[in-house]
Amino acid sequence: MEWGILMIEIKDVTKKFGKKKVLNGVSFTAEKGKITCLIGINGVGKTTIMKAIMALSPIASGEILIDGKKIHKESYEKITFIPDTITMLPQMQIRDAFVFMADFYDSWNQARASELLRFFKLQETDRISDLSKGNTAKVNLILGLAMDVDYVLMDEPFSGIDIFSREQIADVFTSHLIEDRGVIITTHEINDIEHLIDKVVLLDNGVVLKEFDTEEIREKEGKSVVDVMREVYEA
Amino acid sequence: MKVKFNNRDPVYVQVIRHFKEQIASGYFEPGQEIPSRRELANQLKINPNTAQRAYKEMEEQGLILTEGNLPSRISKDEQVLEMVREELILEAVDTFVHSIRSINIPIHEALHLAKDKYEEGN
Repeated sequence: MEWGILMIEIKDVTKKFGKKKVLNGVSFTAEKGKITCLIGINGVGKTTIMKAIMALSPIASGEILIDGKKIHKESYEKITFIPDTITMLPQMQIRDAFVFMADFYDSWNQARASELLRFFKLQETDRISDLSKGNTAKVNLILGLAMDVDYVLMDEPFSGIDIFSREQIADVFTSHLIEDRGVIITTHEINDIEHLIDKVVLLDNGVVLKEFDTEEIREKEGKSVVDVMREVYEA
Repeated sequence: MKVKFNNRDPVYVQVIRHFKEQIASGYFEPGQEIPSRRELANQLKINPNTAQRAYKEMEEQGLILTEGNLPSRISKDEQVLEMVREELILEAVDTFVHSIRSINIPIHEALHLAKDKYEEGN
C-alpha cells in the first residue's frame, strides 16, 4: 500500500439525472481515522455522492480514489456503504442477516457483530420485520460496522428515529468500533453529533460550498458548526 | 465523569479545562492514574481523536505524564499543580470583576455579598 494517501478523494465529480446536474464539480477528501460529515438539505446530492464513491452509480466526469486507487472488485472488502434503509428481507431474523453478510464478505467479523448486538441490547433471534424503526436502524448499522473495513459510509443514520436510539448510535462514534477508520456520514441535523465529527463538507445544489475542520474553526474563529452553516447557507 | 460541552470552544480545550478543574479541586491527586484515551473518549462522549489531542497538549504543558506503554498519570510537580490552581482562580476573579465593574457596583459591596453567598453555599 502506498503511504500518505489513506483517504477517499473526490475530484471534480459531475453527474446528471437526465438534463438535471445533480453533482456539479464536487471535490473533497475524507481521511482515514477521521469522521467527515456531509451536510446539506435533502436533494443536494449527498446520497448520490456516496453511491458514486461505491461505484453503484456511474459519474459523468471527474475521479474518485480510495487510498490513491480507483475502486475495483477487492475494494468492497475495504469500504462499505450503510444505506438509509435496511436491505435485508423483512422475514429474516438478525442472525440470518449475519449469515447472509458472512457468505458475501470475507471482511465480515462475526465477533464484532455479536459485540454490537450486545451494545445495542438486541437479540439475534429478533425478526427484522418486528423491530421498531430505531432498532431497525441499529441492525442496519451493525451490518456495516461489523465489517473489518477501512472506510464506512453512512447515509442519514440518525434520521427519523427516537432520541435514545440516536444517543446510542452517537455513542458508537466515541468507541473503538469507529476508531482508526475513515467515516463519511450524511445528515441534515447536526445537533446530535456536533462534538463528534472531525470535518464538515457543506453541500448545496451539487457543489461544495465549504469544507472545514471542526476543531480548527472553533479554535481560530470561535464558531460552532451551526454558526458556519448559517453564514454559508444564509449568505 | 460528565461534561457539558459548548459548541464554540474547541472540544479539546474544554477537555483540558475539565482536567484542570479536577486537579484544582483535588479530585485528581498528584500522580494519580487517569483513563486511557479510548476510555476518556467513551466517558466524555467525544471523538477519540479529540481525546488524543487533549492528552498530547496536556503532556506538553506538563499536566500529565506518560511513560512508555504505562497509563498516563497526573503530574506530581507541585509547581505545575500550583500554577493550575492560580490560573483558575485568576480566571474566575477576572470574570467576577468584569461583571461587577460593568454594572458599576462598588467592590466592597460586591465582596461583602460574595462572602455571604459563598458561606451560604457551604
